[in-house]
Amino acid sequence: MRRRTARPSVLRLPSARIAVAILALILFLAIFGSALAPQNPLAIDAGALYKGPSLHHLLGTDYLGRDVLSRLMAGTRLSVLTAVEAVGIGLVIGAPLGVATVFLGRWFDFTANRVADALMTLPSIFFAVAVTAALGNGLVQAMLPVGILLIPGFFRVTRAATLEFGRAQYVEAAELLGGSKLYVIRAHVLRKVLPTIAVTTAMSAAGALLAVSFLTFLGIGVQPPAPTWGGVLSSDLDYLNLAPWAPFIPGALIAITVGALNALADAYRDRAGAGTGALLSPVADPVIKTHSTLQALEAADDRQTAA
Amino acid sequence: MTGKPPHDEVLALEDLHVTVHDGAATAVRGASLSVAAGEIVGLVGESGSGKTLTCRAALGVLPKGCAVGRGTISFERQDVTDLPRRDWERLHGTGMGAVFQDPASYLNPNLTVGSQLAEVLRVKQRLSRRQAHRTSVELLAAVGLHRPDRVFHQIPAELSGGMLQRVMIAIAISCGPRLLIADEATTALDVTIQAEIIELLRDLRDQRGLAVLFVSHDLAVIRELCDRVVVFYAGEVVESGPVGEIIERPRHPYTQALLRVASVGDFQRRELQVIPGQPPRVGADIAGCRFAARCPAAIEACRSRAVSLAPLSPVHQARCVRVTDPELSAAASPGAAELAAR
Amino acid sequence: MTAQVTATEATATAPLLEVAGVDVTLGHGWRATQVLAGVDLDIWPGEIVGLVGETGSGKTTLARTIVGLIRPRKGRIVFAGTEVSGLRRGARRRERRSGHVQLVFQDPLRSLDPDLTVAEIVGEGLAIRGEDARQVANQVADALTKVGLDATLLDRTPGQISGGQRQRVSIARALAAGPRLLLCDEPVSALDASNRNYILRLLRELRDTLSLPIVIISHDLSSLAGIADRVVVLYRGRIVEDGPVSQVFSEPRHPYTALLMASAPSVGGSSGSSGSSAGQALTVRQLRRTAADPPPPDGDTACVFAARCPFAIDAPDACASQPSLEPVGDRWTTACHRHTEWRDLAAHRPSP
Repeated sequence: MRRRTARPSVLRLPSARIAVAILALILFLAIFGSALAPQNPLAIDAGALYKGPSLHHLLGTDYLGRDVLSRLMAGTRLSVLTAVEAVGIGLVIGAPLGVATVFLGRWFDFTANRVADALMTLPSIFFAVAVTAALGNGLVQAMLPVGILLIPGFFRVTRAATLEFGRAQYVEAAELLGGSKLYVIRAHVLRKVLPTIAVTTAMSAAGALLAVSFLTFLGIGVQPPAPTWGGVLSSDLDYLNLAPWAPFIPGALIAITVGALNALADAYRDRAGAGTGALLSPVADPVIKTHSTLQALEAADDRQTAA
Repeated sequence: MTGKPPHDEVLALEDLHVTVHDGAATAVRGASLSVAAGEIVGLVGESGSGKTLTCRAALGVLPKGCAVGRGTISFERQDVTDLPRRDWERLHGTGMGAVFQDPASYLNPNLTVGSQLAEVLRVKQRLSRRQAHRTSVELLAAVGLHRPDRVFHQIPAELSGGMLQRVMIAIAISCGPRLLIADEATTALDVTIQAEIIELLRDLRDQRGLAVLFVSHDLAVIRELCDRVVVFYAGEVVESGPVGEIIERPRHPYTQALLRVASVGDFQRRELQVIPGQPPRVGADIAGCRFAARCPAAIEACRSRAVSLAPLSPVHQARCVRVTDPELSAAASPGAAELAAR
Repeated sequence: MTAQVTATEATATAPLLEVAGVDVTLGHGWRATQVLAGVDLDIWPGEIVGLVGETGSGKTTLARTIVGLIRPRKGRIVFAGTEVSGLRRGARRRERRSGHVQLVFQDPLRSLDPDLTVAEIVGEGLAIRGEDARQVANQVADALTKVGLDATLLDRTPGQISGGQRQRVSIARALAAGPRLLLCDEPVSALDASNRNYILRLLRELRDTLSLPIVIISHDLSSLAGIADRVVVLYRGRIVEDGPVSQVFSEPRHPYTALLMASAPSVGGSSGSSGSSAGQALTVRQLRRTAADPPPPDGDTACVFAARCPFAIDAPDACASQPSLEPVGDRWTTACHRHTEWRDLAAHRPSP
């Protein structure tokens, strides 16, 4: 089977290239951040509380005089890990169920939807408190309820996307050729649904990163003095009157990371969408044949026959 | 085509050129036709031949990127080629109406068809709600719908394709236009419904003196309905004349090919004819006759210079050098006998 | 028909496909509607059958039921001696993988995956069967040649080829699976006359070279004139006429068939005519019910065409009961109580 004509690479867009660069940097920091931090992120300096950026402290100090840059660099690992854990739970459980539910019959679909409904009614903070109370207070345990609460979102969105493609005629045609449901999902549906899953993942990562700050507020999850981005953000918000500029720094870091994730997901979705939905939209004027896609190929054909 | 236009001429296209892709290519080249009141003129051609673009130009609704390059469009002998948008909107509905191929896609699926018909009346003719309702029911009856009072309150999903097309026709004639343009209006309908819609169009023409421009790729339907026919190929008019004459004595090889292909509608025939090859790309630049590549009777002279539309009689024209030039038709080539026979 | 086909027919003792007493209801609960009722249809080897009906007649539903996408509420579908309507899951998948019965969908734009290349689409059935790549490539090339497509199209996606080519790719996909029966749902309705004839000629060639029986579903009776051996007319879920095409076309025995023929526009001869034998051409006006006709029998048991039939009599032994298919000639049946009388009545009705 020959390779198909090359689809434009995801990295074609400059936004995608920048996004990948940023995410690569974040990943690097997640691994080496603690080692590379210029100062000890835990070192308290009572004489330099909430100082602005200086040569010694490039991003200033926090309410205990600790170097903000070092805290953010060291905190990258925890933040990344927490987000990955929470989003991972939501993705690995929610998305496959969302795809499967379209193919497993009405009763399964009904039940799965009701379970998703129930999960969505859970008050997030109380749920987090309850889980950490039961399992012990630690970061891993705290991100578990966050992950569980992300499941219905993944499930619903993936299910909606799968419905659009799962009942398509080419799926019926594949079934008529003897394809099993698993084959149909693998060969036809998955590739069309992945862009939606990617976008949902990016959006959920944002929520997960911010969830840490919320929980830290309540003393759930991360125990101070271990640094996380959200933790730095929440403590900065406590001292807003002293240093109004302070929350922007960790906020910007979270925003840049989330923005990069979203840009990458969008670039992936746009590249995939180029082949997928366009043909299925109602054709406004089937009789006017002025499409340019055919012309290039026809020109190639003409050259070939002329040769 | 000579002398003063007939008194009751409703639509006239004179040497119309339509460009596409923001002027990059010319899709319609020098099309001329006219429709008089009470006349049904058929436009026949394959998809991509330019017939739809011509209709849209006549309606002033060319899609983005398309524009009238040269030529004039006259409605009731007024030049409307460069009419500003607001004046076109005034003409729509009250001067000219249109019906297209897929009626369901032109109606809001959530509103009753009656309310959509009444809306047109209230906006364009400023009728009161009650008057609009009454007139709508009358219009629905005029297009042959049973129990129009019931149909008024139904949504598109509850009506069949044929009924929806009747609703669209009702909307098109609601404000008393003098011209009705039907672009592939019966193409998507079942054959029995198609026959009914054709009858309806004929009745409307008889009752209201409508001028009708009927576009189709199906020569058989055109033969059923139209008085005159204009044959389009690759953006040009290649033949035009009264429908009886065109069917019995087609002079252009493309028209002859269309007839051979369409003759399957005759239930006793068993041969299935095709027209070999493909029409040229939209707007392609071709030296000489645009049909020469597929023409069984093409000779050298056909490819060397552009061919103009020449009159064979006061009412019949064809764009073929071999038909109009007696020297050339004697030239030896495949299809010579065929041309002579016709 | 070629001599080859007649020979095949002569030796066949059992139909290749039997549809027996099939009832199909779609939808659940109060929204359920009966789409097919008591359909009996046999397809013999080597014949081209035209299945004709309006929108809503159930012709697409019948095709989908035959291939197993829909389960009939009553009745059976038997292919080459095996009852396929009762198969489930694994057994049904195995039967489908054998590729015996293939369906070409109506709209190639929707039935071809826009993200796959022509090569992948045509070879899908073989890939599912697990054949090795070289075999698949060979069969794909073979199928494309059979439908007259070039190898240059192999790497293109459906969006990059024309409508007529898409239709042929759809047919090629069915052919690559090695079918013994081909069902084509409205294969030519979206095409202009020249492309239509090309595809019909192609189908006829396939039948001639592969001895492949083909069922062509269409709403247009006239498109079958050059190609079908036999025509089956469906009206609102019931078969109303089933017979050899030349005989049905010269003198249809059911008023609905006559109406279909009379409605078809034609370029040659006088149009709006049905049955041109001995100058007895009937027009649409003569076959359509008018207000002057007596009211038709009502109710669920009445003939399914009664409401539209100008010749329906409200009598319990006549049109108030649903007629069954009665033989009216050699392998020719029709479901009409008045099939001997209505022609004369029609000829005497006023026509413009």
